[in-house]
Amino acid sequence: MILSAYPLIVVAAIIGFVLIPSRRILHLLAAVESAAFLVVTGVLILTVPLPATDLGPWNGIFFADHFGVFLAVVSGVVFFFASLYAGGYTERLMETGELNPNRLRLFYSGLALLQLFVTLAFFADNLGLFWILAELTTVFSALLVAILAARENIDAALKYIFIASVAMLFSFAGVIFVFEAARITLGEGTLTWTVLVQHASSFPPTLLFAAFVFLFIGFAAKSGVVPFHTWLPDAHSKAPSAVSAILSGALLNVGIYGIIRAYSLVHQTPFAEKASLILFVSGFLSVGVASLAMLYQTNLKKLIAFSSIENMGLILLGIGVGSPVALFWVVIHMLAHSLTKAALFLSAGVLHRQYRSHEPGADDQIVDVFDLQPTAAWGVIVGTLAIVGMPPFPIFYTKFFLLTQVATVSPWLLAATLVLIMIAVAGMARFLIREFSARSEANVQQPHRYIVPLGMRLSFVLLIVIVTVQGLWFPVQEIAVISQIVAELGFGGV
Amino acid sequence: MTDVSFVDGLVRFIFVAVLITAAFLLSTRSLPSLLRTYQLQSLLLAMLAVVFSFVEGSAVLLWIAILTVVSKVLVIPYFIGEIQERISIRRDLEFHYLAPASSILVSIALIIGVYLSLGNILSSAYAKVEPIFFIGAVIGISLMLMGMLVIFSRTKAITKVLGFLSMENGVLLFGICVTELPFIIEVMIMIDLIILILLTTILTVGIDSTIEAYNEKVRQYSLWTVREEDAP
Repeated sequence: MILSAYPLIVVAAIIGFVLIPSRRILHLLAAVESAAFLVVTGVLILTVPLPATDLGPWNGIFFADHFGVFLAVVSGVVFFFASLYAGGYTERLMETGELNPNRLRLFYSGLALLQLFVTLAFFADNLGLFWILAELTTVFSALLVAILAARENIDAALKYIFIASVAMLFSFAGVIFVFEAARITLGEGTLTWTVLVQHASSFPPTLLFAAFVFLFIGFAAKSGVVPFHTWLPDAHSKAPSAVSAILSGALLNVGIYGIIRAYSLVHQTPFAEKASLILFVSGFLSVGVASLAMLYQTNLKKLIAFSSIENMGLILLGIGVGSPVALFWVVIHMLAHSLTKAALFLSAGVLHRQYRSHEPGADDQIVDVFDLQPTAAWGVIVGTLAIVGMPPFPIFYTKFFLLTQVATVSPWLLAATLVLIMIAVAGMARFLIREFSARSEANVQQPHRYIVPLGMRLSFVLLIVIVTVQGLWFPVQEIAVISQIVAELGFGGV
Repeated sequence: MTDVSFVDGLVRFIFVAVLITAAFLLSTRSLPSLLRTYQLQSLLLAMLAVVFSFVEGSAVLLWIAILTVVSKVLVIPYFIGEIQERISIRRDLEFHYLAPASSILVSIALIIGVYLSLGNILSSAYAKVEPIFFIGAVIGISLMLMGMLVIFSRTKAITKVLGFLSMENGVLLFGICVTELPFIIEVMIMIDLIILILLTTILTVGIDSTIEAYNEKVRQYSLWTVREEDAP
């Protein structure tokens, strides 16, 4: 029954968003609402022994296992910091006339609903329900991208909706295949994860493989994997930065979660190797396309968005290996990527506010960044170091161990991936060195300094602190939880 | 009960008619007739569900038929029609990559491809194949792919929305023919679809007309109230 706390919080919050006149309280309410989600998830961890089937309100609809709860916590953290950041950010958007003040309530209501659907998706015990929740996350995140109502935003949102929803329709055909496969074996069709995982090995393998291919198309589009990635750079870079952080830090995980679940079914059949091949090809292409694109980016947020595609590719390579150790590092990579990417987008958002170009379509001109926005500049620099995998940040370990796992499959794949990752690092380094060393010309007046509100600064600094601590300190309990996740998915013990 | 061969003939007629509507969506240039084609396609699917529900004696299929008529023949087309009224354009003349004639050729190739590959996938499942359901499944997937062609080859966003809806009809046809999904899932998909269409069509107004006209129209609709000085 504890799950009904989530919708109750959202309903209460939306009533607040509609009724409260003061904008200050509105911003505060948004942060409190997302913090309440984290509290509920915390209570759930403390009171419900995992894995728990039948969390209510009806039987076989919601469940909780370590993987779902883990991702619910990760996205809860991302949402909390993004909401904390959104207050100052939206104020500034309204000052510059980019956001209509009347739409602020719509913005926060959309954000709350998005958080609800993302969180519930991780608790859905039913493939059909998961599909619907994933689809609703597309709708509401596209709304948040389009809320600025500039032409580029509407374009990006429409592209996002079309590509993601079209691909999700293929996923739905996959859902039908799964249902039919279950009906043939069990006599009665079912979409319940827990039942499916138990019986997947006895399902007709061809049918299950076809289901995997179809499911993969949709979930790959949700997580921005090549060749379904074309929406991602536009949507992530045009969205308000708080939303970009959520798109990258929480929503991509929804797609990957679906892929891992679907793969855990097909993993039990003789078609596991073919499924792995699909994952390797699309994962490798994602890393390749993203790395090469990163070389010539001139827009900071677009660069970070391409880095998301690269990381999703790496995750797919890890899932494709399919060994327990690889899955272990995939899960940690999801955590590390979400938090690091959120920190990067939030600090890049400050720079975008400072240097926003007034011509539509033109890139920001970053000058004198260490004089004007030192904290955000260091946020971007440390975030970049963390995302490319410098020690002591956690992505160093995840990349290292994922790549050693890839080497067990093919040393050539390892070599090629390594080269592409180097190119990506070079692209990011080149961008930062070029943009951050730019000085303003002597006769041109320096832009006014944008005073960053405390909430905004706090959110990305704290995220970077969390990421750093995670890199330096890896508690035994966390290892136990992640081993449990891998075991529950049916990949064996680490 | 009615004659089996009559039912068989009726189902086959519906399948052919559905394919013709899909071809129409690929080639018609006038927006209102595109919308009517989609309405017809949905109606055909509802009829199919009714026929199947009588053959199999399944109440769920009857509910699906009712749901389809209400949402896809009445509500969604009404809404899109309203939007079309408000965008001043009446015709979608441009085509990307594929002209109508070649996209019909591509669709024929797609249907053959789907027939061959689906035969492989479903052969294990359908040991004693029921040909009518198999053909339905093939046409369902083909309809999806043809809808996708509409999305790729047409330029106006409002036509793309219709292509997407036609894809969704393909999924529905595939679902009816391959297996029997729980009704609650069908209802939730429909709700999801309506929200999606609401959002896309509102955004579409922004893309298919100019931005100033867009703010004007949004105000008429009082969806988001836009103040004069905030208009970009």
